[in-house]
Amino acid sequence: MTKRIGWLILVLALAAGSATAKDVTPVFKTAEATHFTGAEGVELTPSFYDYFYAELRDELKKSKLVKDVVGEGEAVDDADAEKSVVISGTVSEYKKGSVVKSRLIGFGMRSLKMDADVTRRSDKQALCVIHVHVKVDPSWNEKTMAKFAAQEIARQMRKEFAQKK
Amino acid sequence: MRLTGKAALSFVLAGIACAWQTQGADEPKPKPENTVSVHLTEPVPPQKFANPPKFWIKEMADRSGNPQPMLVLHSRGGIFLDRQPTVIVREALEESLKSANLLAADADSADLVIRIYLFHFGLAEGSGLDFFGKVEFSAIVKNPKTGETAEVKASGTSIAKGAARKKNIQKNVQEDLEESLRDATRNFLRGQQLKDAVTLLSKGGEVAPVAPTKPEDKPH
Repeated sequence: MTKRIGWLILVLALAAGSATAKDVTPVFKTAEATHFTGAEGVELTPSFYDYFYAELRDELKKSKLVKDVVGEGEAVDDADAEKSVVISGTVSEYKKGSVVKSRLIGFGMRSLKMDADVTRRSDKQALCVIHVHVKVDPSWNEKTMAKFAAQEIARQMRKEFAQKK
Repeated sequence: MRLTGKAALSFVLAGIACAWQTQGADEPKPKPENTVSVHLTEPVPPQKFANPPKFWIKEMADRSGNPQPMLVLHSRGGIFLDRQPTVIVREALEESLKSANLLAADADSADLVIRIYLFHFGLAEGSGLDFFGKVEFSAIVKNPKTGETAEVKASGTSIAKGAARKKNIQKNVQEDLEESLRDATRNFLRGQQLKDAVTLLSKGGEVAPVAPTKPEDKPH
């Protein structure tokens, strides 16, 4: 029963996350998402970073904040460089959590902290720093956190740049 | 009731045989209704080079280590590709190079020869809520006149919605693979690594300039 409620909450949260970018006009011409790195002591599989990279690109496309989401290492026209951003970052902390603690006393959630830097492509100037903290049930797949973290980065970017526009 | 040794052995062997048969029956088989055709919907325009060289794809090698490269999804009766992943990727690259007049007529007339090693083509492990398509390859670009080589890596990803009905699963998986193929092709043809490789290898050999490019066309 608890698991079913958990899945229901997850589905509702995902639906809410994907249905927030309707009337946003593109602020940037291109955005390049890069593979994030893990700080020392962070034990996440390489496939997590791959999946997060794909999710971040997908969320950026959905956010409609950028006209074109380019792949890592792709060349961008000089004319577009000033209106282009690069998103890089680091996973600073990852706690695996404990299913037993979570079931018995409600603590022991799986948690992830990451910092994302949004820099302008032309002059490498930092435009904003995004701090993300995601907590999920420890029985859930670690890649679910990647999905939530990517949604959160896109949401914060929308909030930051839609205001500045 | 006690079983004799022979009876117990027969019982165990019969059990193993049944399990083997059941496993064989679950193994998906390629049929027209569970086979998808993956190709680029339109060629990917490559980046503009100062001195556009002519490329030739000499070899495609599958380095994925996947014993069934054409099986994309194992569950729900399986989803198969209609061609080998190496053929699909080669076709995508050749079509895109041809569209920009960067494909040589044959190996002898090529300025740069490409050898591709495919590391991943298909679905990768995702969150379980959606389909995570991934295409990853590495290309060795060689100037046949000087023998110099440079490595260019490319990858493409795509996320597609999950589905419950088999028909929708097949449709979403096909779209996901096509999108990741397009993404990988674009990553290769518009990547800074290819630009650097062409610049490096063109210094050694004589890559004939085709048409002067405008300064604003020059990629950053």
